[in-house]
Amino acid sequence: MAKIKIEDLKKIKERVQAENALRHGDRRVRVTVHMGTCGIAAGAREVMTTLMKEIEEAQVSDVVVTTSGCMGLCSREPEITVEIVGEEPIVYEYVNENKMRQIFRRHILEGEIQTPFVLARGKEQP
Amino acid sequence: MKSNYDELLEEFTEEQIRQLDDAIALYKGQPGALIPVLEKAQELLGFLSASAQKHVGDGLNIPLSQVYGVVTFYSLFTMQPRGKHTIRVCLGTACYVRGGKKISDSIKQMFNIEEGETTEDRRFTFETVRCLGACGLGPVMVVDDDVHGRVKPDKIKSILDQYR
Amino acid sequence: MKVFRSHILVCGGTACRASGGADVKQALAAELAKQNLADEIRIVETGCNGFCAMGPVMVVYPEGIMYVEVKKEDIPELVEEHFLKGRPLERLFYKEATTETPIPEIKEIPFFAHQELRVLRNKGLIDPELIDEYIARDGYAGAAKALTEMTPEQIVQEVLDSGLRGRGGAGFPTGLKWRFAAQSKGDIKYVLCNADEGDPGAFMDRSVLEADPHAVLEGMVIAAKAIGSNKGFIYCRAEYPLAIRRLTIAIEQAKDYGLLGDNILDTGFNFDIEIYRGAGAFVCGEETALMTSIEGKRGMPRPRPPFPAVAGLWQKPSILNNVETFANVGQVIDKGSAWFSSVGTEKSKGTKVFALTGDVNNVGLVEVPMGTPLGTIVFDIGGGIPKGKKFKAAQLGGPSGGMIPVQHLNAPVDFETVAELGAIMGSGGMIVMNEDMCPVDMARFFMDFCQDESCGKCVPCREGTKRMLEILTDICGGRGREGDIELLEEMAVIIKDTALCGLGQTAPNPVLSTIRYFRDEYEAHIRDKRCPAGVCTALFKSPCQNACPVGMDVPSYLALVRAGRFDDAYKILLRTNPFPAVCGRVCDHQCQFKCRRATADEALAIKFVKRFITDNGNRPPVKAVPVTRKEKIAVVGAGPSGLTAAGDLAARGYKVTVYEELPEPGGMMRYGIPPYRLPRDVMAHEIDDIRALGVDIVCNTRIGRDISFNELDASFDYIFLAPGAHKSQPLGVDGEDSEGVYGSVEFLRDFNLDEDAWISRRKSLGSRVAVIGGGNSAIDAARVAVRFGADVTILYRRTREDMPAAEEEIIAAEHEGVKIEYFVAPLSIKTENGKVAGIICQRMKPGDFDRSGRRRPIPVEGSEFTLDVDSVISAIGQQPDVEFVPEDSGVSINKWSCFDLAENRKTETTSAKVYAGGDAVTGPWTVIGAIQAGHQAAAEMDEAIRAKNGEPAWQPPEEEKIDIPFEIDEETEEQPQAAMPELEPSRRIADFAEVELGYSIETAIKEASRCLRCDAEV
Repeated sequence: MAKIKIEDLKKIKERVQAENALRHGDRRVRVTVHMGTCGIAAGAREVMTTLMKEIEEAQVSDVVVTTSGCMGLCSREPEITVEIVGEEPIVYEYVNENKMRQIFRRHILEGEIQTPFVLARGKEQP
Repeated sequence: MKSNYDELLEEFTEEQIRQLDDAIALYKGQPGALIPVLEKAQELLGFLSASAQKHVGDGLNIPLSQVYGVVTFYSLFTMQPRGKHTIRVCLGTACYVRGGKKISDSIKQMFNIEEGETTEDRRFTFETVRCLGACGLGPVMVVDDDVHGRVKPDKIKSILDQYR
Repeated sequence: MKVFRSHILVCGGTACRASGGADVKQALAAELAKQNLADEIRIVETGCNGFCAMGPVMVVYPEGIMYVEVKKEDIPELVEEHFLKGRPLERLFYKEATTETPIPEIKEIPFFAHQELRVLRNKGLIDPELIDEYIARDGYAGAAKALTEMTPEQIVQEVLDSGLRGRGGAGFPTGLKWRFAAQSKGDIKYVLCNADEGDPGAFMDRSVLEADPHAVLEGMVIAAKAIGSNKGFIYCRAEYPLAIRRLTIAIEQAKDYGLLGDNILDTGFNFDIEIYRGAGAFVCGEETALMTSIEGKRGMPRPRPPFPAVAGLWQKPSILNNVETFANVGQVIDKGSAWFSSVGTEKSKGTKVFALTGDVNNVGLVEVPMGTPLGTIVFDIGGGIPKGKKFKAAQLGGPSGGMIPVQHLNAPVDFETVAELGAIMGSGGMIVMNEDMCPVDMARFFMDFCQDESCGKCVPCREGTKRMLEILTDICGGRGREGDIELLEEMAVIIKDTALCGLGQTAPNPVLSTIRYFRDEYEAHIRDKRCPAGVCTALFKSPCQNACPVGMDVPSYLALVRAGRFDDAYKILLRTNPFPAVCGRVCDHQCQFKCRRATADEALAIKFVKRFITDNGNRPPVKAVPVTRKEKIAVVGAGPSGLTAAGDLAARGYKVTVYEELPEPGGMMRYGIPPYRLPRDVMAHEIDDIRALGVDIVCNTRIGRDISFNELDASFDYIFLAPGAHKSQPLGVDGEDSEGVYGSVEFLRDFNLDEDAWISRRKSLGSRVAVIGGGNSAIDAARVAVRFGADVTILYRRTREDMPAAEEEIIAAEHEGVKIEYFVAPLSIKTENGKVAGIICQRMKPGDFDRSGRRRPIPVEGSEFTLDVDSVISAIGQQPDVEFVPEDSGVSINKWSCFDLAENRKTETTSAKVYAGGDAVTGPWTVIGAIQAGHQAAAEMDEAIRAKNGEPAWQPPEEEKIDIPFEIDEETEEQPQAAMPELEPSRRIADFAEVELGYSIETAIKEASRCLRCDAEV
């Protein structure tokens, strides 16, 4: 490994801080992928992988991804919930890899709710 | 009179002695070499016999008296052959107040040995130590490198049965 | 950049690994792979997280949820629930020690919430084997600043300004040490790090090295620049393999990055670090000994001066700091001295890391600002003492330190205060000790350690520690002699003054400290051959017998019950206790708190088995003893103390007359304790036996009213005063004199005198009753009032754990419908027409610690409220009524209205012919305590009489030989205490029938068989 200089210390710090940001609590968006048996059967796993890849490519560190079990509406799986801090949560239905990409880029990054895929808004469950 | 090398051969193999010589060569001439070499020697040979001490002294050009002085000073070094496994019972304060003494007494009784001794079948060497730093788990018994925490006297046998 | 949706930080500290952490980590990795989660979830092995008692622990981010005591079998469920279904697994949350409330988030757990993490800021948060993670947390920023922006003088000045003092124990200002070395001439200088942490109970340095090794390296680089050194050594115990491994990796990575080695950060500065493995000698923690050891010799200390700053390792200028000190340095430089000194006390700045161990719920690693009160560390962070035991002392500084006892829980922990209290800060080992700690045994333990570790170079340490150890061993073994304490003190001072190095100079500290605070326990060992804590086994047969004030032979009667020989068991009971049937019901059973069975499952129900014997065995008949002595003895008060003394004296052939003011004998047993706990006939039968010995009991006769004290004095040769404590202490609030306000003792006495009037409602408390206080008397009054059909509330000003009443009594009261309000104190009594209408109260909250180790209640402003009640019973304390003893009697009375005793006497008062015992000497205590005083008084009076007459000492008649069977189980199976059958609560409150029904034969034998027979000599 090459010897580092003072400015390298700063670069290493910034890079690793981004990777480890989720240990420190600054987060803007929480995405919940519903991964009950039904969700996984309908393709939630692929949705999750896509989401992770998108986050990686976009190099954002303020998006937190969690999972949860079935919401009780198995026929509309895969479902995800996007919760931007200070806004009402949005539940999307029939999500697939393409929809996931679109939701990530348009909603999560740019704040534009993708109305055609929305199943419900707000805390109340469908 | 037997040469020191012959005496060494009575206890150890040629391969062991060769490795010891490598270690001596590695450290020779460095200041403060004695203790690292003795550590290596004990790791290789298991214990530091009189012949081994003499061999190290000769190799590093240090008088035997000084080697012996160092060997007897530090608790890590032993001049007795060791058992295949080492049982160490912690008698640090935290373990002591939680019953470490009882564990130690039970082992002595079980094998009819005292502290620092090795069982007749050379299976175990029994020692007590001062605090292993695992105070949260007291009383602690360490067999080789495995730490067994919250040991109760009636569990000792089943723990030791794992070490054949 | 590789993004994960979750990081699992698995603790890889020594303690967590020892409890199976490595298996857990492996199982976790396998399970994540199996569930296809390995790309989404990253496992990070961190250094010691600090919460060692709860290991293995892990923290899951982003949620910050902590899982404790995780086993590898838990992993599939954990992964499924948390990582697939997103439902945190509550089963593995930390649970608050007393309330059992689960706390999911690490930052909410009190153990972490009260800490100030600076040295330990990265613990459990970074992977110590990845230098990048350290750099991301501002790592090496201090070193970079020191190397590029600061001169050596500026570095030294910054460290001086910060007020940083050595964390290894002595507290020498770090900057000053550096300045001396910087000023020393020489082209070769050394920076040494002391990681030879050898104090038993200390593991701070190990944890820092395991969790954040780069912080130590960074501190050393800065120190090297400050003093002009190019070479450093870390002297680390060989017993710390994991620390050595992590350090080795850290050094390699730092070298790869050019943060160690030649031309660091391209600044032209060179510095290299080598690890030196200590070969196990405690004395090598001393700086000159450590240097001698690195030189390859026996690690013996050298005289100072010359100081290491001038001539250290290989006679070159050197500095030696410990791990924690170096770990502070990087931040001091990066964030500045002002930041560092923003916490702490005037002379002790910054934070201190403690290894909290011993008898405390949350064993682990703790970092707090200097000056944090001891009580905060032990109770708020440490979660208090397990199993409801009492805090006795905290030991600081290991074999070089001392104890801080319960009365100093408010003491701010900093260098100065700790030294004033006779301990030393030390490197940070804090061992919490409960009531079961024997200070003499502890002093012996530490002296044994020092004696063993003394290097032998100087005589005071080599010989002095040996002699002191011999004396301590003798005291613990029952061979202590008068004068031993003074001899220990004298030797301690000489060794402190003359030993060559710190080991010897501090070795006497534990002895001096324990003598300072626990001299009475030393004296008990030496004079009475008794170990009050029940540790020094040479002094007693079994811990239960040792704990009993009268030394009842518990193992023997349990063995006889097991063998079905109940009559023989009864005989054993009566050998030491004339009231076994009473004690089988109402004893405070100190024996059970020391029962060793509790370490396996639960203590034996000794009290219940005792009662069983008196219920089922045949009480041996008592024959009158002929009066063979001419001396006549009067006893005042027919309570347990007076009657015991009377019985013992009658057995010795004396004519004894007992005077009792009330209509029947029994004292508090008859007029204090209600019949549902102690049926009156049970007690009456035991008193009959005392009468049968030939004792006269004269009731309805108050001394000073019916017979004057002088008359008594004239008619008897000796007098034993045992009037008890039959007066309630006043509340001291307005309205106390109103109708409807009772003292608990007076109320209980009136009820026991005039039960019919109360039961037929001629006398009444009304329908709502408040009882003030938290002792047994408060509970008795409340449970009686409930039986009158009243709605009863107990008001207590502290917490439930602080209540002096027996736990089982509190529970019984609650079952019967008594309400208990904690943290409430009375302000005044509201009256209407001179009668009680209510009680005005105030809420309290916990404040400082008082001398008993309980938190002092302090009022909450504006929290006043009124409780409407018809009567108020005050049960906040009792005192003796000693007015009957005239001032000119020669019997002196103290400010608590109790009898004073003659110096060094246990029952003799200041008048040679008058003895006293029981509650009237001790203040309100227990039945068994009063019985003990009665025995003691009888023996001392008899001894005095015979000594005066020049007669030989009394020889007790030969006891019938009862052989005690010895039968124990090969294997102990876990089996809790047998429950006592009781009346249903609804049935209980209908009348005053006895609540506890007694064991059946089967239950009693089963319970007695749980005895571990600690009395057995193998």
